[in-house]
Amino acid sequence: MRRRPLISRKAMQFLGTAALLLIASPALRAQSADALPEAPTPQVQAVDLAQNNGGPQQPPGTKQAGQPPSTSTEPSLSDLGLTTAQTQGSARAQALLDKRTHMLKVHQRLGLLTMIPLAATVISSASATGGHHRNGTTLVPSSTGNTAGRDLHAALGSVTVGMYAATAWYAIRAPKVPGTESRGAIRIHKALVWIHAPGMVLTPVLGAMAFKQLNSGEKVHGIASAHAAVAWVTVAAYGASIVSISWPIHLKF
Amino acid sequence: MKKLFAACLFLALPTFAQSNRQPSNTQWTLDSSTLTYHITHPLHQVEGTSHAARGKGVCQAGRCDFLIAAPVKTFDSGDSNRDLHMLQVTRGAAFPIVTVRLHLPESATTAPTIDCDLEVQFAGQTAHYEHVPFQQTIQGAEHRIKGTIPATLTDFKITPPSFFTVPIKNEMPIDVDLTWHAS
Repeated sequence: MRRRPLISRKAMQFLGTAALLLIASPALRAQSADALPEAPTPQVQAVDLAQNNGGPQQPPGTKQAGQPPSTSTEPSLSDLGLTTAQTQGSARAQALLDKRTHMLKVHQRLGLLTMIPLAATVISSASATGGHHRNGTTLVPSSTGNTAGRDLHAALGSVTVGMYAATAWYAIRAPKVPGTESRGAIRIHKALVWIHAPGMVLTPVLGAMAFKQLNSGEKVHGIASAHAAVAWVTVAAYGASIVSISWPIHLKF
Repeated sequence: MKKLFAACLFLALPTFAQSNRQPSNTQWTLDSSTLTYHITHPLHQVEGTSHAARGKGVCQAGRCDFLIAAPVKTFDSGDSNRDLHMLQVTRGAAFPIVTVRLHLPESATTAPTIDCDLEVQFAGQTAHYEHVPFQQTIQGAEHRIKGTIPATLTDFKITPPSFFTVPIKNEMPIDVDLTWHAS
C-alpha cells in the first residue's frame, strides 16, 4: 500500500519557491535593512519593543511619554569626533576653578571695602597739612599744623595700605588657569596695577617723610612734597581699576 | 503554469517591498554654528558665543535623531576673566560639554518652522524644553536653523554669579544659529 505524503508535492514546490524568493530578493533585504536599525539585531529590537510595551507607562507630560524607544542609531559624542579626553570632566580642574573664584571674590570684596578707608584718608588729608595758627588777631602760616588730624590721616592711610595689601594678596595667590590669555576689561584692570601698586608703596613712604618734617617744625620739602600728588594719582588709578573691571557699563534694572 | 506563477511572484515581491519601504537613511552634518548665551546684570549685558559646536543627525524610518555638542570653554564673552568665572559657576571643568538632543519626524526637516522638544545637558543637569520654535531657511543643500532656547540658571541648578554683590538675572536665553547639510 502506498503511503500518502503529509505535504503534497505542489505545496512543497510552492514553499520551495517562496523560500528561494525570500533568500534571493534584494529588495526584501533592503526593506529589512531600512526598517530595522543596524544594531541590535532584529530579534533584540523585538524584545526591546515588547519590553517597552509591557513595561510601566511613563506619566503623561514626561519627555519619554508616547515616544518610540531610543535606538542605537542616535548619534553619540564619539560620532561627533569628540574624544574621551574632551568629554570627560576633571574634578581637579573644577576644584582649581572653584578656588580661583573664591579667592577673586574675596579680592573683589576687599577691594571694595578698601574704598572706605581710602575715601576717609582722602577726606582727612584736609586736616593733615601744615595749616595756620593764630598769633594774636592774625593767622600765621604754620608748618606744624594740626597734629591730631595728621595722626588720624596717617592711621587711616595705614589701614588703607594694609587692606590694599590683603586685596592684592588674594589676586596674586589666586590659581592661574594654564593656557588662558587675558582678554577684555581684565587687561586694563591688570595694567592699572602698575600705577596704583607703586603708588600704594610710595604714598605712605612720602607721607611718613612729610609727617616727620611737619612734626619737627619744618615745612614739607624735597621728595616728600610729592606725597599729595602721588596719593591723588594712586586714588585715581585705583578708582579706574574698579571701574575698568565692570566696563562697559549698561545700566538695566 | 507553476513557472509562470513563480515568475509573477518573483516580480511582484519587490513591488510590494518597495511600497512598504520607509524613507531612506539620511545623515545630517552640522557645517557651521553660532551659539550665544545672554545674561543680564544691572550693570551689564553679557553675551558669550561659541562657534565650536558639532552636530549630527540620523534619520531612519521617518524619524530623525539629532545631537549637537559644544565644549563649554569655547564660549567667548570677550573677557577671559568672565569666561573663567562662567566656566566655574557652570561646573564646566567637571562637565565640559553641553549637549542638545532632539527627535523629529523626518517630514519636519523641510518645514519652515520646526517645533522641537529639546533635551539639554549642561552643568551636570538635564533640562527639557518643549515646543521650542526654530525657523528654517533652505538654500540649496544648506538648511539654516535659527531659534532661541529659553534656558534659565535654575534649570541647571547654577548659582547666579554676582558682580559687586548683585546677582545676575535668572534668564539665560541661548540663541542658536546652525547650518546643516544632508547626505
